[in-house]
Amino acid sequence: MGKERSEGTLVQGTLDMLILKTLSRSAMHGYGISQSIQQFSDEVLRVEEGSLYPALHRLELDGVIDSEWGQSENNRRAKFYRLTAAGRKRLSQEAGEWRRLAGAIARVMGTA
Amino acid sequence: MQRFRKKLRALWRRRQLDRDLQDELRFHLEMAAESSAGSNPRQLFGNVTSIGERCRDLWTFARIETWWQDVRYAARTFAKNPGFTAVAIVALALGIGADTAMFTIFDGAISWDMGLDHGERVVVVGGTDAAHTQEFGTSYPDFRDLRARVHSFTGLAAYQFRPVNVSDRSGLPERYYCVRTSANCNTVARQKPLLGRDLTPDDEKPGARAVVLLGHHVWRQRYGSDPAIVGRTIRVDEVPTLVVGVMPAGKRFPEDTDLWTPLIPTTALEKRDNRDLMMYGRLADGVKLTAARTEMDTLMRQLASQFPDTNKGLTPDVEPIATITGVYSMRPLFAVLFGAVGFVLLIACADVANMLLARAAGRAREISIRVAIGAGRMRIVRQLLIESTLLSLAGGLLGWLVAVGGLRWFDAGTGDLVKPPWLNLKLDATAFAYLAAISVATGVLFGLAPALRLAKVDIQGSLKDGGHGTVGGRRSLRLASMLVAFEMALCVMLLAGAGLMIRSTANLYAAPIGMNTAHVLTMRINLPEAKYPAEKDLVRFHELLAARLDALPGVEATAVTSNLPLGSWMSFPYELEGAAPAERLPQLDAIVVAPGYFRVGQVRARRGRLFTEADSTSGAAVTVVNESFAAKTWPGENPLGKRLRLAPNGTAQAWLTVVGVVPDILQNFRHPLEHSPLIYLPFSEAPQRVAYLMARTAVPPATLAQAFRTEVQGLDEGLPVYEVRTLENRIAENHLATSLFGAVCAVFAGVALVLASIGLYSVTAHSVSQRMPEFGIRLAMGGTNGSILRLVFRQSLLPLAIGLLAGLPLAVLVTRLLGAMLAGVPPGDPVTLAAATGVLVLAGVAGSAIPARRAMRVDPAVVLRCE
Repeated sequence: MGKERSEGTLVQGTLDMLILKTLSRSAMHGYGISQSIQQFSDEVLRVEEGSLYPALHRLELDGVIDSEWGQSENNRRAKFYRLTAAGRKRLSQEAGEWRRLAGAIARVMGTA
Repeated sequence: MQRFRKKLRALWRRRQLDRDLQDELRFHLEMAAESSAGSNPRQLFGNVTSIGERCRDLWTFARIETWWQDVRYAARTFAKNPGFTAVAIVALALGIGADTAMFTIFDGAISWDMGLDHGERVVVVGGTDAAHTQEFGTSYPDFRDLRARVHSFTGLAAYQFRPVNVSDRSGLPERYYCVRTSANCNTVARQKPLLGRDLTPDDEKPGARAVVLLGHHVWRQRYGSDPAIVGRTIRVDEVPTLVVGVMPAGKRFPEDTDLWTPLIPTTALEKRDNRDLMMYGRLADGVKLTAARTEMDTLMRQLASQFPDTNKGLTPDVEPIATITGVYSMRPLFAVLFGAVGFVLLIACADVANMLLARAAGRAREISIRVAIGAGRMRIVRQLLIESTLLSLAGGLLGWLVAVGGLRWFDAGTGDLVKPPWLNLKLDATAFAYLAAISVATGVLFGLAPALRLAKVDIQGSLKDGGHGTVGGRRSLRLASMLVAFEMALCVMLLAGAGLMIRSTANLYAAPIGMNTAHVLTMRINLPEAKYPAEKDLVRFHELLAARLDALPGVEATAVTSNLPLGSWMSFPYELEGAAPAERLPQLDAIVVAPGYFRVGQVRARRGRLFTEADSTSGAAVTVVNESFAAKTWPGENPLGKRLRLAPNGTAQAWLTVVGVVPDILQNFRHPLEHSPLIYLPFSEAPQRVAYLMARTAVPPATLAQAFRTEVQGLDEGLPVYEVRTLENRIAENHLATSLFGAVCAVFAGVALVLASIGLYSVTAHSVSQRMPEFGIRLAMGGTNGSILRLVFRQSLLPLAIGLLAGLPLAVLVTRLLGAMLAGVPPGDPVTLAAATGVLVLAGVAGSAIPARRAMRVDPAVVLRCE
């Protein structure tokens, strides 16, 4: 890809998890997902479109999310993504894993 | 799996997919633009096309599709260069096709199993005397004892090979190869009858009713596949015999068997020194050949101490059955041919590699552009390898046809003599896999060098150069020259081998046989024991027959003989008058003939006289010897009047007086140029049950075949006449192996020569076209045509010289492998090598003459203006 990783960009696995988490609240289009992640992270996490769309399409091919064309809030044709049953399962797995990892890191950092 | 299905669905809605992607990204851009008015969303977003492409790639079979693109690109490149493509494909087709055909032959020859189940476990048990000078079969009592005692075999069988005559109401009497075998024959061979029953131990008891198993082809051809044949009675050698079963198609073990009959012990068979049986067995599970040998050794030693009179000094010889067949002995030759055809394929590869290298020069610009717009080196190498593999696959496809044709030619050329019936010459799945494998392998082999070279192209240079770009220039030319030198070295080896084979064939045909073989008709006849029990019956029959045949119009002379020229001889133990008595009598080689034999062959006596009719009627004990025998036995003495006597089965017969000496006649079919010491015996001295009829005819011999048959069957209507052929035809068949191998070698060498000259031509033409400007300048500066010619030839003949330098010593080594096939010419024969060199140099000069002419005709003005 040749792009340098800047502060606040996300590693792929984490991005997948965040997308799934975001979609677990409601179906959303790509732009919405990126906005939502940015807001929920208090503008810390900025999702690059160059990573977002390939990630969305890969997740769709994997069958963890589904897509559907619909009307956006300003009445434009937009592609909405939605979590599937498999996606829910994947999310809970990844969230558990994440919690375990984050806790471990926190403990290490705390004792240091 | 789900992924794959989605991708497949996307494959059919490719346009929809593209539109959706665009829409989705455009929507995002617009939303972003609205929310952050002022800043350029495109800048934020990055390369929209690239994101789209990456998403798109997810939905497609991207990897396969780029391969497909490369293949299509390659096909287009070839379509633009039809001349180059055609030459390359034909060269490869010749190489790959010939290689596949040879592989099939080689594979058939080495994977020998006679259609036997686990044939590698079947061994032949023979015997030799202590000094390994003479080979023996087995006697029936020995077989019975061994069979009872041996543990390392699951079964041990013995048989006698016996040609028989079959007559019944189903047609003309016919001649078949019958084995008399112990009843367990088919159990050991693991073959079962298709119809009826197998032979049983009851069948081999003395006095049992005569029974026979029919071969499938006999059943089909003679009895029209009638299943009711089982239970009927046919006459086998005049003995009414019950048909008990029919064997399945293709099962003819132990020999090319037509009929199987039980081996019933007779008084003659019960003699322990009557070693007339062949013995074979199947190794028991887990028993190694060496263990079986050791056990057989021990058992034979037991027999030797039990029966010292008959068995002293006999040692067994246990060999896998495959090793005793004729084809087995030809394996080195097949290997040589396989090697030779490998050379042809290598030359074809080198050729195509060369052509690709030459073409690479013109493609430098194209490749540079591709690299400049972002193609990686690996992508370029891959592209070029795909091109070469595509070429070789096309070559392979055409090569399949070449292989089919080659095998047909080989099949037709060999006939039944060289080629046993079980030799599988079909192009089967194995052959196809082999062809596919060598096609891909050659594609990579000849594509790799040009591909690596091209991938290293200097982009800057060749783009600036404006298309004149040379790839590696001198270095690629050096590589090409090395390839040509390699081709030349292989080619000179093939030419030398082919030359030797052709000379051998010529020697065989040029060698005087020792008799006039033109206008001689031959046929075989077998007088069954049941109808002609005594020797005098055999003599009587042939006297009657001779009288009838001699009376036929168009017949000049006839004779019955035990062996035809180049058809071996009979062996007898004998005693020379006045020789010291030996413990074991020496053997002599003899041919048993009727008095007319020398008249049929138009042979004159060197000394003394030939046989006369009076000899046979008077029963005078006389013999005629050939010059070799006279020179060996009585060097420097007059052989006339000397005496010797035969002692078959140890009983001495009457003394025979030498009455004449005849010139040597070639008899040895294994070494067809060697003369053997021989004597000739009157037919009445040692009458033969199975014999040849020979007739010198005034009319074309073949026209008399039916008349002869009529005369024979006029005497005995149940008697078949078989192998009716002219003598010349038989001799040609005898030379078939050599001439066929010669022809195959010559074809290979010819193809190699053409390919190598193309190689030399293409590299010379390439170098000339590159050096045109230089030649132009030289001519402009006052260089002569001669000097240009010298330049071109120096460059083109150098690889030829290097190739010869390396190839000639190798040729001396390699042609040694031909060894036994050569007749009258030594391996590494200097004359042949010189001829091969001459042919190659001639082809080399011809190959470089065309480009040289172009170089001389260059117009300095034109070339210099182009620069």
